[in-house]
Amino acid sequence: MTITLALPSKGRLKEQALDVLEKAGLKVILPKDQRNYRAQVEGDSRIDILFLSASEIARELGYGSVDLGVTGEDLIRESLSSADERVQIEARLGFGHADVVVAVPEVWYDVSTMADLDDVAAEYRQRHGRRMRIATKYWRLTQQFFSQMHGIQVYRIVESLGATEGAPASGSADIIVDITSTGSTLQANHLKVLEDGIILKSEACLVSSRRSADPAAVAALAQRIQAAIAHG
Amino acid sequence: MTGSRAPVFASDLAALISARDAELVDIPVIQPADQFLDMAGEDLRRRIFLTENENGQSLCLRPEFTIPVCRNHIELNAATPKRYGYLGEVFRQRREGGNEFFQAGVEDLGDANRARADARSLADAIASIRLVAPKAELETLLGDQAIFEAVLAALGLPRGWQKKLARAFGNPGQLKSLLADLSSSQKNGSLPDHLTALVADGDETGLAAALEQDMQVAGLSPGAGRSPQEIARRLIEKANLASVKLPAQAFAALETFLAIRVPLQAASSHLRTFSRANEFDLGPALDQFEARVVAVREAGIEQENIVYDAAFGRPLDYYTGLVYETRALNSPDLGAIVGGGRYDRLLTMLGAVDSIPGVGFSIWLDRLEKIAGEAQ
Repeated sequence: MTITLALPSKGRLKEQALDVLEKAGLKVILPKDQRNYRAQVEGDSRIDILFLSASEIARELGYGSVDLGVTGEDLIRESLSSADERVQIEARLGFGHADVVVAVPEVWYDVSTMADLDDVAAEYRQRHGRRMRIATKYWRLTQQFFSQMHGIQVYRIVESLGATEGAPASGSADIIVDITSTGSTLQANHLKVLEDGIILKSEACLVSSRRSADPAAVAALAQRIQAAIAHG
Repeated sequence: MTGSRAPVFASDLAALISARDAELVDIPVIQPADQFLDMAGEDLRRRIFLTENENGQSLCLRPEFTIPVCRNHIELNAATPKRYGYLGEVFRQRREGGNEFFQAGVEDLGDANRARADARSLADAIASIRLVAPKAELETLLGDQAIFEAVLAALGLPRGWQKKLARAFGNPGQLKSLLADLSSSQKNGSLPDHLTALVADGDETGLAAALEQDMQVAGLSPGAGRSPQEIARRLIEKANLASVKLPAQAFAALETFLAIRVPLQAASSHLRTFSRANEFDLGPALDQFEARVVAVREAGIEQENIVYDAAFGRPLDYYTGLVYETRALNSPDLGAIVGGGRYDRLLTMLGAVDSIPGVGFSIWLDRLEKIAGEAQ
């Protein structure tokens, strides 16, 4: 029986994921044809490598159609409802760091916490005839953070598929929930992160599906990678 | 009840509703989603069935009736007062129970005699339950948003705090943490130098002008979202609030109030005693409350177990006065059989030109069927 390990299909994440596997003694033989999305591990036919986009990996782990995967925690928590019931984070890999944050225009000097934002949201409709709008591609995380954690109900999410940080200036939203690693993009767009506005400190993780058909093999492989990380 | 079968008592219940002078309306199953998300908040998004039409407009399966019934009234430009009844399926993603279930209810729009309309709503709701479960042991909890807001005003709290607390009505956890926050002071974050003095002087005009310049630098249109004036006012308000603390006496009075839980017919004198003891004037809110108690006494439901719970509320910003919920004492895990309340702000929020008062309730027919079965 083979198990499937999904890896990000491109970019820095792909390179760093391959490095981690190599440290664990798992050398991935990349396909000669770059368009081929399957690969093998040298000397180990029980592992299938599948290259997918990071967000597809999160989703497939939820379905159980891949057994293990490397993807960002943000994508896991955003793509899957009750993520902890469906997948398990086996290891934090120490790369792909990014925070999902609530950011508002710098000029909102009166707003530095979520409690301030609660006040602003509550009065927004009365003043402007519409709800306060949040641009984001993380609607699940936003909704959980605002509605469930901070009891803020009255806002609208505007789905944004790119350049979210430009939404307040373009007038398509008032504030944003987005990912940031250094904060420089936010700064360049005159946005600031609220003091208690960090929704999630995300990084790349090794994640297993709880629906795997071969949990023992998955656990063994996860352990092997964990051990490699622990040894640096 | 599973799937789309209407309960056996559906036609009798519909007959009762129209006999009580409510016109039964048909509401399409597929509805624009925005109206629900706008009113109830984004939290609803994960509980409704959303889809899109070809033009990208968000549509959903009808998650409830109140909002579309009110919208329908506005679109027809119908005369008030007007009473609408409904009975049909609603669709929500639930962790327990099916995703499709039946609701029935009455929305009473435009009756200027609020006390009478409130009492009538309660009587209609309870009569609907009694039709199906005549012997069930019921408890109706009744709360009042307006009384809570009057108590906050009487405590002499700053306006910002009053609003904050009023929003948490009916959410004991949030109310508690807010009160804890209010006993410590809140400060503005660090301000840039060119604003510090303007805030300290309370110079709203000067501050707004400075903020408008900052907005232009940031590429924000001062007319699109929060205005410079709005930010200036709140900055100054916050600076003033930082020095205020909630006195222990006000805390104690608020706690005493929130613990009030008495039979409705004893509630008026209880609230009078409470306000006298604290030297509060609860004004028109208490008069309205008393008029409602009298109207309930005259509505022919005196044998029913109705309890006033000062802390009971619904955290939705269109409820304005009465809120109530009826539960079956023998099935405490079932949740409310009926939920209702007064929503005097809702029709304006939905686009009505004139302010139209409204009160209504919904019955969860799957729950009603259960208690009917258990009582037999």
